[in-house]
Amino acid sequence: MRLTALLSMAARVIVPKDYRYGTNRPWTAAAKRLNPPGKRRRKVFVEPIAPEEWSVLKGDTVEIRKGNDKGKQGKVIQVFRRRNWVILEGLNTHHRYIGKTADYRGTYIASEAPILVRDVALVDPSDRKPTEVEWRFTEEGERVRVSLRTGRIIPKPVVERRDGIVPQQWKDGPKDTSPEDALEKTYIPSLKTLEEEVMEKLGIQENRRHRTSYWY
Amino acid sequence: MGSATSKMAASSSAGRVLTLCKQFQNVFRISSATNARQGAVSSAKCQTSLLREKSPIVTPSWSNPISSPGQYRALHTTISRRGLEEFFDSPENWGEANVKSGAPWTAKQLRTKSNEDLHKLWYVLLKEKNMLLTLEQEAKGQRVQMPSPERLRKVERSMIRLETVAKERESALRLLQTGQEKGRPGAWRRNIFGYVYWYRFKEYAIPWYMNRRYKRKRFYTPKFVEPHIRLRIENYLRERARNENLKKRRLTKLQERFPQIKAPAS
Repeated sequence: MRLTALLSMAARVIVPKDYRYGTNRPWTAAAKRLNPPGKRRRKVFVEPIAPEEWSVLKGDTVEIRKGNDKGKQGKVIQVFRRRNWVILEGLNTHHRYIGKTADYRGTYIASEAPILVRDVALVDPSDRKPTEVEWRFTEEGERVRVSLRTGRIIPKPVVERRDGIVPQQWKDGPKDTSPEDALEKTYIPSLKTLEEEVMEKLGIQENRRHRTSYWY
Repeated sequence: MGSATSKMAASSSAGRVLTLCKQFQNVFRISSATNARQGAVSSAKCQTSLLREKSPIVTPSWSNPISSPGQYRALHTTISRRGLEEFFDSPENWGEANVKSGAPWTAKQLRTKSNEDLHKLWYVLLKEKNMLLTLEQEAKGQRVQMPSPERLRKVERSMIRLETVAKERESALRLLQTGQEKGRPGAWRRNIFGYVYWYRFKEYAIPWYMNRRYKRKRFYTPKFVEPHIRLRIENYLRERARNENLKKRRLTKLQERFPQIKAPAS
């Protein structure tokens, strides 16, 4: 097998068809411990929610409709599309010991359990009550979530980028092109190929003749 | 001034890219090798510590004894002559855990650039990629994390997009001038296993009737293979029926548990 294919095989995790997705990412050690290669578990039926219909985004404020913490509002920390789960900050918690060793009993922490998306409702920011939400288009053509009860638009939550960059406060480094240079248009369409144009500009003259070759 | 830059930054938030140092941006506009040499003299104010060797324009007859201009050119067409230092980052970034870098070039931005600019950008990106790969390898050798590995991925993505844009332009020109969609000739052929596939031609120095290895390739299906083809078709139909039944059973089970599902079209 080619070396690149072998290396990429090691990098990407291949998951069997009846894999049970949990709260751990499949490439982590914890997930490998819970789902070793030969393990087969009872199948979980996940309601197929189309990607266009999905309305709960990371960072949204939602209210719980069913469960122990019914009626409480919290921020969404993580979203699991495979199981239709959301994890809210500090809600739907159970307590467990973490970092246990032979002599130390471990730290007692509250850990959140995932909740199904159907058991949770988005909160309308104007009156802070739970509503049903629909995706609609504004007059400008932007796709937004509209609350069905009040008709108000629920804005998308501002999530920090994974690399920590805030676009408004960015300063170009020595190797970065300035915005004007990057957006400047220098293309003049012509009937020459890239190679011909570059050869012209650099003054390369190709005087060699092509030998007869056969294509089959 | 600050608000103008921040507005520009906000409007083109995807516009931060990797390219030559700002001081050399006027080199980008210079087109031919001869002009580049004259440009080095005119942009003398841009000479920094990077231009260590003396400028090649000083005595052209002495430094370049070859008289015919068409056949011989200097290897470098830019002012920067840093040699092996180009394989390494600038010294202020040595030993840092995080080196910040801008966004990669998008195909939309690359489509507005001329062919010559794309050609130059390709080599700039290539050198940057070489530098990052050296860094990666050295980090592996010293068993240390490479600082900001996402730079390598950004450069690779930019190069892929550049190649896509160049291919688009070439294919548009080819379609216009010849009406051919593919640059490389080929044909639909049947192989000995009965599969019909797009066979891509190769370039040879001798015609096909003189090529012994090519004549041994058979582009037809022998008679004794046909029963096996029928069995293969049967297997395929059986598997297709099995998959469709499986999908139907899954859908009915899902509808039992989640009655609000509408049967999807697919």
